[in-house]
Amino acid sequence: MNNIVLSVKDLNVWYNDFQAVKGISIDYPEKSISAIIGPSGCGKSTFLRCLNRIHEEVPGARAEGEILLKGRNILGSKIDPVQVRRSIGMVFQKPNPFPSMSILENVTLGVRLLGVRDKSKLMQVAEQCLRKAALWDEVKDKLSQLGTSLSGGQQQRLCIARALAIDPPVLLMDEPTSALDPIASLKIENLMSDLKKDYTVIVVTHNMQQAARVADYTSFFVLGELIEHGACSDIFTNPKEQKTEDYITGKFG
Amino acid sequence: MYLKYRKLKNLIFHFSLYLCAALVLIPLVLIIFFVFKMGATSINLDFFTSLPKPVGEDGGGMKHAILGTLYMVSIASVISIPLGLLCGVYLSEFGKGKVATLLRLTIDMLTGVPSIVIGIFAYITIVVPLKSFSAMAGGVALSIIILPIVCRSTEEILKLVPGHIREAGLALGLPRWRVIFNIVVKGNLSSLTTGVMLAISRAAGETAPLLFTAFGNMYLSYEIDEPMASLPVQIYNYAISPFDDWQRQAWAGSLVLIVLVLGINIFARTLISLKHIKFRYRG
Repeated sequence: MNNIVLSVKDLNVWYNDFQAVKGISIDYPEKSISAIIGPSGCGKSTFLRCLNRIHEEVPGARAEGEILLKGRNILGSKIDPVQVRRSIGMVFQKPNPFPSMSILENVTLGVRLLGVRDKSKLMQVAEQCLRKAALWDEVKDKLSQLGTSLSGGQQQRLCIARALAIDPPVLLMDEPTSALDPIASLKIENLMSDLKKDYTVIVVTHNMQQAARVADYTSFFVLGELIEHGACSDIFTNPKEQKTEDYITGKFG
Repeated sequence: MYLKYRKLKNLIFHFSLYLCAALVLIPLVLIIFFVFKMGATSINLDFFTSLPKPVGEDGGGMKHAILGTLYMVSIASVISIPLGLLCGVYLSEFGKGKVATLLRLTIDMLTGVPSIVIGIFAYITIVVPLKSFSAMAGGVALSIIILPIVCRSTEEILKLVPGHIREAGLALGLPRWRVIFNIVVKGNLSSLTTGVMLAISRAAGETAPLLFTAFGNMYLSYEIDEPMASLPVQIYNYAISPFDDWQRQAWAGSLVLIVLVLGINIFARTLISLKHIKFRYRG
């Protein structure tokens, strides 16, 4: 197995009294795609949101356990969540480009606010990230148009480009294609496979075929518990657990 | 038969909506029409450039009152716009818990205080201790009028920004103040400015808070600690006077006030749209 970039150890998450994630431990190898599948309400989004501490935005949410990013526990009280999020980017379920900002401004906002002022440098970052997000050819002539003027699939790729601009080694994706049509979804999936060369991608998905197509590893959650975690080839063809088999064959979920 | 009935119903409701829209416009159109009709004849260059003449002499203008209004509205804006904006941002972005609830309640009550009472408050707290009517007292009274308007409009506008936009900013590793300032506030500058402009035009038209704070005078003054004329008070004084010439000037003053208030609004909106175009076609 490759280097472990992100290692989750015995993670428990509560929303007030309700425990949404129960003692989950998973290791994420560098430059791989890992999928999290499971029925609605199984805690997969909650789990993902803990990985960059964005769960703290929900009042009453509380995480216990360890999430080691290159050996450092990012849940530690002395760690600044702002620093964590610079190393762990995120793409959300609904495409959410910043309103009233142009395509260019959307992509470069992160680096601009981190202090890069030089125009040519910003332009370079924008082109590089939009190319990585497979959006450059579609938008290169209209960079000054509003980000919200793009189609849903393009907006989602814009959001991916925006997340890549600050160059985080780990990229979290929370059901990135659930608001998109099959063709736009396919583009995002192809993109994810490309991203694997440089980034570690963790993706939550409702779509098992998607997980099977793009991921190297898959975790299966039910009701906040990790039922099974392993290489995709094993999970989808030869699951160890009865529950996993029932879910992937459509018997429940 | 049924289809005909449904179409008829549709027609009636459609018509009623247009009628209501027209009814709402009637008072505004009438006011503008009358003020233009009565005021336009008395407007000339003199009205803007000269000071009142003694009763009986023709001519004279309201230069002092026009400048006085601008002066005191500026004082009010300097005090209330930053305070109101920050307060609104606080309520929208951090507004949970007892302090925020209390603040919201206070601001709502402030909105409901009659403007004459705010005038009395400024009179007691500023005019009486300083033993003089002053532009400062007038400006402070106006600032109390617009503070709650700026604050609540800011809060309501920013609350419309969906939570996932803030999360997207935080997920980029931006500190919270950056997210609030660069994404939430900057993304809504045009609506925020509209709120501020509405508050300013409200202040420009207020008479009651100025009656016994700035009091008014008949000469040009730029002193912050002396009485100062303002358009509404000058209009009020002239309108209740027995002299035809003064009454004509009151109409002219009303016209200037209306144009000023509309002008502030239109100016702000054009400024924003111009900026937006530049913004959109940059690089």
